[in-house]
Amino acid sequence: MAVRSNPEFIDDLKEFGAEDVAKCYQCGNCSAACPHSKAPHIFPRRAIKCLQLGLEEPLRASLDPWLCYYCGDCSTQCPRGAEPGETMMSLRRWLTSKYDFTGISRLLYTSRTAELVAVLGLALLTGVGFLAFGFSYGGGNLGVYDGPGAFLPTHYVHIFDWTMGIVLALLLSINSLRMWHFTMRSKYAPHAPLSLYVRHVMLLPYHFFTQKKFSECEKRMPWIQHLVLMLSYLTMLILIMVFLRQMQAGPQVNWYAHFFGYLSAIGLLGTTILSIRGRIRKDAGYHQHSHDSDWVFLILLAYVTLTGIAQHVLHRAGLPLAANITYVVHLMGVVPMLVLEVPFGKWSHLAYRPLGVFLARVQDAALEQSTTEAAPLVVLDGAKG
Amino acid sequence: MAEQVLTNTVNPQNTKRVGVFFFHSADADLDLQALADFSRTLAGVVMTRKVAVTPAPDPEKLAKEIAAARLDTLVLAAAHPGFAKAAFTRAMTLAAGDPAKVKLASFAERGEIITIERAKSVLKLAVEGANGAAQAKPAASTKFNDVTLVIGGGVAGIQASLEIAESGHKVYLVERTGTIGGRMAMFDKTFPTLDCAACILTPKMVAVGQNANIELLVLSEVQQVTGSAGQFKVKVLKHASRVDSSACVACGDCAKFCPVTVTSEFDMGIGTRKNIFIPFPQAVPNTYQIDPTNCTWVLSEGKKCGACVKKCSKGAVHLDAKDEVVEIEVGNIIVATGYDMLDAHRVERYGYGKYPNVLTSLEFERLTNASGPTGGKIVMKTSKVNKKTKQEEWVFEPDGPQPKRVAIVHCVGSRDRNYNAYCSRVCCMYSLKFAHLVREKLPDAECFEYYIDMRAFGKGYEEFHERIHEEGVHLVRGRSMGITEQDGQLYLNGEDTLAEQLLKQPVDMLILSAGLQPSHGTAELGSLLAINRDGDGWFRELSYNAEPNSTVREGIYVAGVCQGPKDIPDTVAQASAAAGHVLRSIVGAAAAAHESAAPLSANPDPAGMPARS
Repeated sequence: MAVRSNPEFIDDLKEFGAEDVAKCYQCGNCSAACPHSKAPHIFPRRAIKCLQLGLEEPLRASLDPWLCYYCGDCSTQCPRGAEPGETMMSLRRWLTSKYDFTGISRLLYTSRTAELVAVLGLALLTGVGFLAFGFSYGGGNLGVYDGPGAFLPTHYVHIFDWTMGIVLALLLSINSLRMWHFTMRSKYAPHAPLSLYVRHVMLLPYHFFTQKKFSECEKRMPWIQHLVLMLSYLTMLILIMVFLRQMQAGPQVNWYAHFFGYLSAIGLLGTTILSIRGRIRKDAGYHQHSHDSDWVFLILLAYVTLTGIAQHVLHRAGLPLAANITYVVHLMGVVPMLVLEVPFGKWSHLAYRPLGVFLARVQDAALEQSTTEAAPLVVLDGAKG
Repeated sequence: MAEQVLTNTVNPQNTKRVGVFFFHSADADLDLQALADFSRTLAGVVMTRKVAVTPAPDPEKLAKEIAAARLDTLVLAAAHPGFAKAAFTRAMTLAAGDPAKVKLASFAERGEIITIERAKSVLKLAVEGANGAAQAKPAASTKFNDVTLVIGGGVAGIQASLEIAESGHKVYLVERTGTIGGRMAMFDKTFPTLDCAACILTPKMVAVGQNANIELLVLSEVQQVTGSAGQFKVKVLKHASRVDSSACVACGDCAKFCPVTVTSEFDMGIGTRKNIFIPFPQAVPNTYQIDPTNCTWVLSEGKKCGACVKKCSKGAVHLDAKDEVVEIEVGNIIVATGYDMLDAHRVERYGYGKYPNVLTSLEFERLTNASGPTGGKIVMKTSKVNKKTKQEEWVFEPDGPQPKRVAIVHCVGSRDRNYNAYCSRVCCMYSLKFAHLVREKLPDAECFEYYIDMRAFGKGYEEFHERIHEEGVHLVRGRSMGITEQDGQLYLNGEDTLAEQLLKQPVDMLILSAGLQPSHGTAELGSLLAINRDGDGWFRELSYNAEPNSTVREGIYVAGVCQGPKDIPDTVAQASAAAGHVLRSIVGAAAAAHESAAPLSANPDPAGMPARS
């Protein structure tokens, strides 16, 4: 079996945030330290070995990076400072760009200019678009926020939301399909019959909603923080996609809808502030290195949360003009964040990670079926550990 | 060939007469004519000459020229003029001039790119220095003390002391503990020959004790060093041993009655000793000593105990003896302070201090040593209730259970940027030696070596590695990550990086091959001696390749591990080399003193022409 080596692979991955991978001397401490590293998914050392050898293909076929939740234990214990944790993180970015068929992901991850131009350009386009729409098809009066003559009628915004949602979901689905193709259909993967997919399909929603594996890391706080962020985000998404009318009505507070809105706003704001503070202070192993994409993601999230809260407060305070302007400003953050991050950037891992856990389990099951003696934990003297 | 000495007429006004000799240099594209013109403008230059590099300058011809021009100072100018110095010095001697007045103007001294401006300034400096304007005045010559101070009584200090003492010069050997022997005295076997360490070391220790030229200062520490090479003044704090070594016959009666039992430093804490003790049976000096930190008499300020004084039939015990400061004068100092083991507690994941059967390498060294607490039997610790403290403690008993599985972990605290980034150099080999000892003493036990890279670099080491392989030791490539306990069984977790498999290996005994680090007090000694240390804390040699024994201070040399991790053969070799440096300085100083007694212009050949009048 011929293997193609790309000697520039390490340098390529540096664009995605990898540290000095060449420092690794293959002692295996990281693989043994990681609570998620279990046969046949032994990482991060094996991934680093592939990197050092320039083997793109087995890495593109690997699900291992999606099984890592970056607690940073491997990096703090690494005797060489090779940063295995950050290597896995950059591999996830690299894989995201590989799964993405448009090439946009790669461009955004590897070029700071492209990322900034994309964010600012989309923001500008959104602002101009909504203003033009408001003055032409909408109420035409910036002084009206809700009701029949609203500047941006909820009905139209709803249609816009759903259109964008469907397009983005389609893009993400195509990329997820490519992920399945690269991993499950590669020569490195065992053949998995459909029955195995069906048997384990419940893992998908389970890991999506609980992120159970993250809780198996030595430290529990990052998991709780991550879960709060994700659930808050999800709640807000549901509120906007399904209950936008209730959310935008007013100016009185509609507690049935707004209670959940407040809860998720607090969740989003709190976790975002904690993350930004952590990355500035470099307070943990997983906060030592911040790629441009990490900052863009956090800044957009903070921006969207704060402007969202502001337009809501201004609306309730009886300041429809200010509320309308803030709403447009808010949308100028929402659209770039979702369009860039969901199919091409960091948000995509919302899909890839549970999918990765699910597919890895299917692979394991396929392996168990194909080999009579499965010994995930080898004990040298034959005793079962 | 009869050497001809020419008469050199020194000008009566005593003004300098400098001759500048230029060499064609292929690599430096310099205008020699311009430089020659420039040098003639300098005060004292009476002659400039261009000299070919090949054929080599003939001293006799040059001597004639020097004499004819009545030159008293020569400046050799080129990019690298050093090659010609010997010939010109010889010529100067033949011309009855002062051979010390041959100066170099090295244009390339501060870098290879030479401009005419720099060449001129180098030339100016050389000529003016030669002219006497910028010349440093040599200090008045003083007698070079031939006594040597050796700090540290391990194998390096012992070797260096013996080399110097046996060539007839006095040595003060200062040792911090109560006996010489150092770390090597603790070892059972040496790698790769599996020689008995004591059989090599103890004869040397005895030789030190018996050599009249060696004055042994045990329980002593260097406090102050002043002066310079040839005339150091050193203050040594000599802690009271509280036992008169000239009276003690090492009968051991005192220890029998001493009520205080503490852990033995020599046994690395895995055995015990009485508070009046002899570190080990072959200790030199072979006398008892008292540890004042635990002595009932000392702690009660003379109110309690004193059993040893009463029991000593020789009256050798003097509990009230005081520390004293000894002042000595030496010409040279050899530093051989060795190493400490990295504190294995720091590498928490291996559970040292938490699990009783996790040992450090030196502890295992004592366990497997016939003079150790189990008589050399490799056993596991057993739980015992201490009668005094009523607490459970884990101790080694000679009849303790034998381990079935022994794992040895390499690179504990070495090659790890979280601890010491450097390789400690000896661990791979001593670990292989341990594996051999386990397989030899416990043929039924399995032995596992977890290594990152097997560094078997020395003579016979690779063969030893192969031998251990053949002895059925499991060599696992992969540093283990740590130890866990389940139902009373220890498990070592790691990855076999060659088989790409995670391992969870049940083990009964775990040996941590902890790395070496400078012995405690190295920093203080370094500032006391004003010699520098490298980033890892070891004493820095003057030049890594060319002067591995010398330090920045003339007269102070380093030997053994205090300069950097090394094994016994390298340590002994370096110690002998340090002794060589010391002997060179002693012999050289003696020769210089002899020479300076005779006139400098003495005719080396009585049959030749008479010296200048």
